[in-house]
Amino acid sequence: MSEGIMAVVKPEMKSYIWIQTADGSIQQVEEEVAMFCPMICREILQTGMGSSKNYAIPLPQRVNPPIFGLILDYCRFHQVPGRSNKVCSVLSVSCIASLHISGEVLSFLFLGVLVVGGTERKIFDEKFVRMDTKRLCELISAADSLQLKPLVDLTSRALARIIEGKSPEEIRETFHLPDDLTEEEKLEPLKNIADDPRIRLLNRLYAKKRKELRERGKLKNVEVEEELVDERSVDDLLSFINGGNEESKEVKTNKNKKKNRRRKDQLKDSSSNSLNGNHKAFDSLTSACRDGELTDITLSTPSQTSKFQGSTAASFSPKLEFDDSDSDDDLDPVMKEELDREVEDFARRLNSDWPQRMQEILSLSQQRRLLPVSMNGNDSAHRCTDFGQQIILQDQ
Amino acid sequence: MLKKMSYSSFPEDVLEHVFSFVQSDKDRNSISLVCKSWYEIERWCRKRIFVGNCYAVSPRRVITRFPEVRSVGLKGKPHFADFNLVPEGWGGYVYPWIAEMASGYPFLEEIRLKRMVVSDESLELIPKSFKNFKVLVLSSCEGFSTQGLAAIAANCRNLRELDLRERSEVSLSALERLLGRCPNLRTLRLNRAVPLDKLANLLRQAPQLVELGTGAYSAELRTEIFSNLAGAFSGCKELKSLSGFWDVVPAYLPAVYSVCTGLTSLNLSYATIQCPDLIKLLKLCPNLQRLWVLDYIEDSGLEALAASCKDLQELRVFPSEPFGVEQNVSLTEQGLVSVSEGCPKLESVLYFCRRMSNDALVTIARNRPNMTRFRLCIIEPRTPDYLTDQPLDVGFGAIVEHCKDLRRLSLSGLLTDRVFEYIGTYAKKLEMLSVAFAGESDLGLHHVLSGCDSLRKLEIRDCPFGDKALLANAAKLETMRSLWMSSCSVSFEACKLLGQKMPRLNVEVIDESGPPDSRPENLPVEKLYIYRTVAGPRFDMPGFVWNMDEDSALRLS
Repeated sequence: MSEGIMAVVKPEMKSYIWIQTADGSIQQVEEEVAMFCPMICREILQTGMGSSKNYAIPLPQRVNPPIFGLILDYCRFHQVPGRSNKVCSVLSVSCIASLHISGEVLSFLFLGVLVVGGTERKIFDEKFVRMDTKRLCELISAADSLQLKPLVDLTSRALARIIEGKSPEEIRETFHLPDDLTEEEKLEPLKNIADDPRIRLLNRLYAKKRKELRERGKLKNVEVEEELVDERSVDDLLSFINGGNEESKEVKTNKNKKKNRRRKDQLKDSSSNSLNGNHKAFDSLTSACRDGELTDITLSTPSQTSKFQGSTAASFSPKLEFDDSDSDDDLDPVMKEELDREVEDFARRLNSDWPQRMQEILSLSQQRRLLPVSMNGNDSAHRCTDFGQQIILQDQ
Repeated sequence: MLKKMSYSSFPEDVLEHVFSFVQSDKDRNSISLVCKSWYEIERWCRKRIFVGNCYAVSPRRVITRFPEVRSVGLKGKPHFADFNLVPEGWGGYVYPWIAEMASGYPFLEEIRLKRMVVSDESLELIPKSFKNFKVLVLSSCEGFSTQGLAAIAANCRNLRELDLRERSEVSLSALERLLGRCPNLRTLRLNRAVPLDKLANLLRQAPQLVELGTGAYSAELRTEIFSNLAGAFSGCKELKSLSGFWDVVPAYLPAVYSVCTGLTSLNLSYATIQCPDLIKLLKLCPNLQRLWVLDYIEDSGLEALAASCKDLQELRVFPSEPFGVEQNVSLTEQGLVSVSEGCPKLESVLYFCRRMSNDALVTIARNRPNMTRFRLCIIEPRTPDYLTDQPLDVGFGAIVEHCKDLRRLSLSGLLTDRVFEYIGTYAKKLEMLSVAFAGESDLGLHHVLSGCDSLRKLEIRDCPFGDKALLANAAKLETMRSLWMSSCSVSFEACKLLGQKMPRLNVEVIDESGPPDSRPENLPVEKLYIYRTVAGPRFDMPGFVWNMDEDSALRLS
């Protein structure tokens, strides 16, 4: 650095650089500290600024005064020669040289200095980044605009540690980020989703669901509330049957193709209902899926439908961005009828013996009865061989 | 209402720099779900992708979303394929992936495959398409020959890792040429066909090896072979992992003694070494972190292990004679208890034995609450506690209760629904559960599906689980990677229902005897494999696999 650039050099004092922060205030910074920032360094060298108050170097917008203070602390510590790695390695050379002269003790002492020199920085750095996330973000932003790479690295690592182990929701809260991904995108966030027939079907189901929600909103709530059931535990499993039962009633009226399409929508909606439940479950951030126990059931009752709708209506509607086309889904009516029939049959079959069976099972488990070890001799031997045979294979 | 300003309003490249310090798949996935801008930034700087089920997503989709990937990991067949439960021809072909990546990822460096069918054609594509290729790992794969490997060996100059574990024939000269061409090779696993007297030469050509799998470890007892081998080993200063050791002649074991202090991983699961020789070897390996061994080690050997190897993290003990009715070695639950007492870092266990007690399991659980993977295989199905004749519910219950970070569990022995209640209650971090010959009713399955919050893979065979629990927890299946059920009581109707109602699941019925709807109505399906996917039904299903989605199922009936 040429002498000409340095103005007002008082032999008995340090030289200073004039800096102007984003708020307009001007301050003096020790030269060696300021020069630690590549951006400031370049400004000085290229433009000659910083030599006086009138020619203070303006800092980038992202560097506000308190943050600049922090950065100066960082620079002040790290630019001290005693702590640089270079000096440490010089020490190590002299250490080796002195080994056979002074013996172990002295070289050990030198080694001790080496070690301290190395970790001094680490200790400082670790303490330095202990601050709230907001400040850390401001710091990394400022360090980046000043091109202070070591500090950018340090703060990046600190931020990475903050991010690690958190759920998306937690990360959003920590960094005050918007939850602007659609349900669709959270599942398969791609712009060009239209080409996948499954996604198209999902789209249509969502559109229908949204319509359903809106239409229900118009209806009186009385009908809905009457059917609300709030039983848990055993009935979680039993409700599958109840759901099948009521569903089949509606399905019967479906046989007539000319019937109101809204009825068919309900059948579709019950499946999209479970899809919503699935979405909730799939979306890792929502633990609310736990009370979506009821929605795990593939055929759900209108009461459960409405209950679920109630809880998710708010979160559901704003996220959808699909066109609300009224087009039919891909199933042709004949297939739909078959499907309805199958569902009905199955539900009926399950319904006939399930409640009794369930009671049996529950009472069994309560008594904690030990089941007799029932094994068909030959069968088990065969099984054992089959199972045992393969365990030798690589099980990595 | 005051709108919160985002903290992270700094340039994208700064955010990208932060992300570069976040490497785990789980965290990267979380980042991508935060918001639109993070999703975009993350996807452009993702370098490594792991697809746990090659049918869960199409390769084209992966490439479109993550354009800068350099390392791809894929898994194909379900885990129970290792027990021959998945018929030949089921699927898991890697070719479509390599073909797509050839155009999409010209700078690809690493391919790691597990349980996939890899044709020579696929292998030949690699050097043609990826100029910077460095790592190929084929684990439990099939379908390729020396020809395919020769293409890799001849043309991939930057090769760093080549794992040929499963291959049955490999030309020795091709291997030597490979070693000559690839100075960066760090991992080399030979197969049985490579004889011991040739090993020394190979080692001298690759002294930089970090991981070595020997071929057959036997030869005539000749001093020059021994000294040659010992010399070659002593030249391998970087060696950390040894495996192979087929057909061991114990007299040659001391040839590896020079590398023992540096060893962190030792796989002797093919080595018929008796206990005294094992103890001698293990005493020289104080830094051992992982040991795979046959039950010839016996309880006494495991005691010695517990005393010498304080850094041990993973232990696998395989049965030497799994079909034998009589116990041939003195290996009992005691061995495992000793290791659990003596090795404070032990967190991963796979243990085959013939008897177990609730007491022993409770002791192990109390000793090692840091256990993360616990797989116990009592060889005879439904074996009760040998001391009390009770089921082992309480023992396994203790494992899940004390080991709060347990991620993987395999059950065996006599078990009622109660063990599943324990699992559903306590095993909140459990990701993979393997069950065979256990439980009494659907309640068992229901406990697991409704209670295990972190469950990703569930594989079940020969258990009395049917439709109810499965259907009642249908939504859970979309939060998991896959579910395998074979020789259970799931009906064809339930499979159809599931397939029709859950478009994001592939419900595949495997039945080698004929179309599932041609069987009598009450007969349960033979095998069922359900996995979540955004790729729809796959196109490469063989004749004995049926997809239960709307179109397919309706076509059937």
